Amino acid sequence: MTEPLIAARHLTFAAGRLTILNDVSLAIHPREIVTLIGPNGSGKTTLLKALLGLVRVKGEISRRPGLKVGYVPQQFTPDPSLPMTANRFLDLFAERNAGRAALARVGITEAGDRQLSALSGGEIARVLLARAVAGKPDLLVLDEPLAGVDVSGEAALYHLIAELRDELGCGILLVSHDLHVVMSKADHVICLNHHICCEGEAHDVARDPAFVALFGTRGELALYPHHHDHAHTLGGEPLA
Amino acid sequence: MIIDDFLWRAGLGAGLLAAACGPIGCFILWRRMAYVGESVAHMGLLGAALGLLIGVNALVGTTALAIAAALIMARAADRTIPAGTFVGIIGHMGLALGFIVLSLMETVRTDLLGYLFGDVLALSNSDLIAITAVGIAVLGATALIWKPLLRSAAGGPIAAAEGRASSLAQTGFLILTAVLVAFGLKVVGALLIVALLIIPPAAARPLAKTPEAMALWAAILGAVSAPLGLAASLTFDAPAGPCIVLAAGGLFALSMAYSVIAKR
Repeated sequence: MTEPLIAARHLTFAAGRLTILNDVSLAIHPREIVTLIGPNGSGKTTLLKALLGLVRVKGEISRRPGLKVGYVPQQFTPDPSLPMTANRFLDLFAERNAGRAALARVGITEAGDRQLSALSGGEIARVLLARAVAGKPDLLVLDEPLAGVDVSGEAALYHLIAELRDELGCGILLVSHDLHVVMSKADHVICLNHHICCEGEAHDVARDPAFVALFGTRGELALYPHHHDHAHTLGGEPLA
Repeated sequence: MIIDDFLWRAGLGAGLLAAACGPIGCFILWRRMAYVGESVAHMGLLGAALGLLIGVNALVGTTALAIAAALIMARAADRTIPAGTFVGIIGHMGLALGFIVLSLMETVRTDLLGYLFGDVLALSNSDLIAITAVGIAVLGATALIWKPLLRSAAGGPIAAAEGRASSLAQTGFLILTAVLVAFGLKVVGALLIVALLIIPPAAARPLAKTPEAMALWAAILGAVSAPLGLAASLTFDAPAGPCIVLAAGGLFALSMAYSVIAKR
């Protein structure tokens, strides 16, 4: 196997007496899509911050030297008091042509000249995605990128993310609080609840007929059937 | 009509200061940091009091304490007390302590209102020179750090997550805010200086489609507020600093009315 883009070993983090992360290890390789799922308060955000170097945790994190990260934040829009077009927003972070090309790639060229404050949730999600891929990242980190996107838009956006992986050859870390919806294209699914509850390859993801009815026959989205072999206390401690 | 020297100085000084406040004030708006400016201004009063107490220039004390307060507040983060509350606590402690120190000094008791609401008509020639120099320096420095500041204002958590946050621009922004607050103390006072930082940019918002246009409009509207306010102060024999702030508020109302009409 190739050298991982980023690898974390035995990450542990406590806030006061509360254990947020308990011995979490994971690695993301080039062209690999890793999906991190877990309920609210399961430590996803802390793990993400640790991987991005924003929070110091116990354990070891190794990044490939010169690793270029593209980050898509969770439901973020600049303050409406900031007058700015989508094109200008992209220009702040990437070279002009790269920004325009990325906007075209995510399919919203026409939104380029519009003010950010006038864009819909789905359009904002695509602008943020375009901004992240315009810099040709090695690792694309998406923190709940579908918050604010409607159900029909979700499937299209997941599809787009998988295509971008193929085009850029980058690794992808996708974070979702939704325990059930996971992209079938994900190579590896990690279920987090302070510790790694379960993880597995997503090749065997079941195709739930109800989901196919909802999202169409593309099969980009599917139920990931995973059975918990243990329960948790309210404090998050696993019960035997 | 003959315009007295002190009016020229007041108009020029207040206009220049308000113009320099415009672009920095835009960032305060975009990043929702009005409360930081407010608390820095309150600490500025303590700085002025301490400056007078130990016999250095009040302006030196104000500038030093305002910068220190801004830098400390920016790093203040606690899990249980919201940052805004923490900053507010520090600021109001400064205001209270500053007031006490000023009251204990018999000789400056008459100046108390001046520190709270400004004394722009008392600007001396050297004050005017200092404000001019500071105004130009602040505008120049703002232009220098414009791009990284704009990137962080527009990108929120993105720059830090991708490992390219510019702490130099952040610190610069806070120092510039503190300097404007310190020099604004003489013009509109500790209680009103934040008005010059947030009202002209807010009035500029409906007129602008780019960040640069908004900064330019904010500078222009701030500069225009000064002579308008002074004229009102003269006409109604009202205090000058508050009149300048009200003039800025009037321009804000006009701009809002314009945006409502333009949308129809």
